[in-house]
Amino acid sequence: MNYVYWIMILPFVVLGVTPLAFKSVIVLQVLTTVMWYACLVLSWNLVGGYAGVLPLGHAAYVGIGAYISSLLFIHHNISPWFGMLIGGATASLFAFVIGYPSLRLRGPYYALASIATLEALRMVTENVDQIGPWSIRGARGLLLPLGNKWWLMQSQDKAFFYYFILAFLILLILGEYRFRYSRWGYQLVAAGQNEDAARALGVSVANLKVHALLVSAFLSAMLGTFYAQFVLYIFPQGILSLTLSFEIAYIAIVGGKGTILGPVLGAFLLVPASEISRFYLGGRLLGLNLVVYGLMIVIFMRYLPGGLMELGSKLVRRFKNGG
Amino acid sequence: MEIANIVLDGFLMGTIYALVALGLTLIFGIIKIINFAHGSFLMLSMYVAYWLVKSIGVDVYWSILIPVPVMFLIGYGLNHTLIVPVLKKEKGVREPLSVLLLTAGLWTFMDNIALMLFGPYFRSVQTPYSGKMIRLGMLSLRLPLCVGFLITIATALFLYCLLYKTKLGRAIRATGQDREAAFEVGVDVYRIYDVSFGIGIAILGVAGAVLLPMFYVHPTSGVVFDIRAFIIVVLGGLGSIPGAFAGGILIGVIEALGSFWIGSTWIQAWINILFVLFLFFRPMGLFGIERG
Repeated sequence: MNYVYWIMILPFVVLGVTPLAFKSVIVLQVLTTVMWYACLVLSWNLVGGYAGVLPLGHAAYVGIGAYISSLLFIHHNISPWFGMLIGGATASLFAFVIGYPSLRLRGPYYALASIATLEALRMVTENVDQIGPWSIRGARGLLLPLGNKWWLMQSQDKAFFYYFILAFLILLILGEYRFRYSRWGYQLVAAGQNEDAARALGVSVANLKVHALLVSAFLSAMLGTFYAQFVLYIFPQGILSLTLSFEIAYIAIVGGKGTILGPVLGAFLLVPASEISRFYLGGRLLGLNLVVYGLMIVIFMRYLPGGLMELGSKLVRRFKNGG
Repeated sequence: MEIANIVLDGFLMGTIYALVALGLTLIFGIIKIINFAHGSFLMLSMYVAYWLVKSIGVDVYWSILIPVPVMFLIGYGLNHTLIVPVLKKEKGVREPLSVLLLTAGLWTFMDNIALMLFGPYFRSVQTPYSGKMIRLGMLSLRLPLCVGFLITIATALFLYCLLYKTKLGRAIRATGQDREAAFEVGVDVYRIYDVSFGIGIAILGVAGAVLLPMFYVHPTSGVVFDIRAFIIVVLGGLGSIPGAFAGGILIGVIEALGSFWIGSTWIQAWINILFVLFLFFRPMGLFGIERG
């Protein structure tokens, strides 16, 4: 059992020393994006992986986090470290209002409700220029002021964001691991697999699912704040898009939703490919990364619905039987 | 009078929305899956109609004869090779989400491959019908809208006859009502699925040509209609064909009046908001009966 531990820790040690070994900005940029996606997919996984529903509108929470912290920063000079928490709380509140009625819906209805909620939020954001003292700038989006101070969550040094998101990822993996194998984790998975049976055994299905969504929304919103500070520009078509929501779900599924390793694995395999193609192909092959994502989902659903984790466990089983 | 004109315009547009939603509701009614890629197939058939009109120069409405069988074969083939195997594998699962995801993947794939192949250009084709108006007393209506309305009615009648007057139609309806019972009396259920999916997609072959004189063709053309079609079929009750018409007309009229009063972008946002609220309170649709 001990060597498994070390194999798990090794990649993070490698990630930890990478900025010291490579001075390339592109490497750090791509890896930061990869880990950002990994965190986002892990947050999604709390609902999409365990609760037996298919959320296809998680960009709503990412967008709320990004917009709230950025607006507080731009107009009131409130540090995004603090704004991140306010954004998270706002997203959780939004998730509560939406999630409480919608998590009772089953299968396709929940997926449709999540899409429609996100679309409504995006359209409203695109059409609003001003809310009270806050200028939202509609579809043009928000440009964040450039500072170079760590207490404003900004730095010219890419390694700052890199280590921040690495720490976030490690904490998220450990936290989700503890949750998954806790009493609530088992209950949530039971509720996701067979709602009626879980309820008959005394699991308060609805509350459990809502709580999972609240945590998921809070984390997604924090990651939205991170994105805004990292990229310094947010706009509704990007951060509140269906595309981002679908990407999150797709990465989870290719990796293996409902597992902890799967989403991380999915992000490390899929995101670099699409980021690198974006760097080198530029505008020439528009949408190539999404073509690949879509195709992979179709193939995985047809042949390997459990994702890479299913493939892994099949291989391990064959190896054990054969050896 | 202006208001009456707007309402009538919305009514006609609504029936065309219903035409798009017809296949979606049929597929849900029979196979019990939501086809997320529905809008992408519409986009595809709009491109087919566009190229037919642009390169061969056929009349836009006669061009329907080509995409309909093509789309039927595409739908039949896709269902046979992709969807049915997944359905078979997921037979015992309570909340089957794999097929939902498969069609979502297809949606992303098709829209973006269209973007790669055809580019992000908004294409439109000048037909003899574009921009023409019909005068009915005080009312004036867009000609392509009226033709589209007539074609929609014809398609719906055709679908009705197919479902209610033929043996195949009886088998399709039986499969939709009770899959196991239909299987017991000798219906080849999975072949019926293939045929139903084919018909659902073939209707989009009609819709593509009907929309062409009024809308731009673009890789994301489908998305707008996709989400609108979801809304329409849920409003009317998933699986109900008259419901699709009721939902379509309702959305068409709300949209027309809303565009007039509060602007076309705001009304789209409101339709989404109202839809979410509707979903919370009446997920079974306007006329549906709550099932336990």
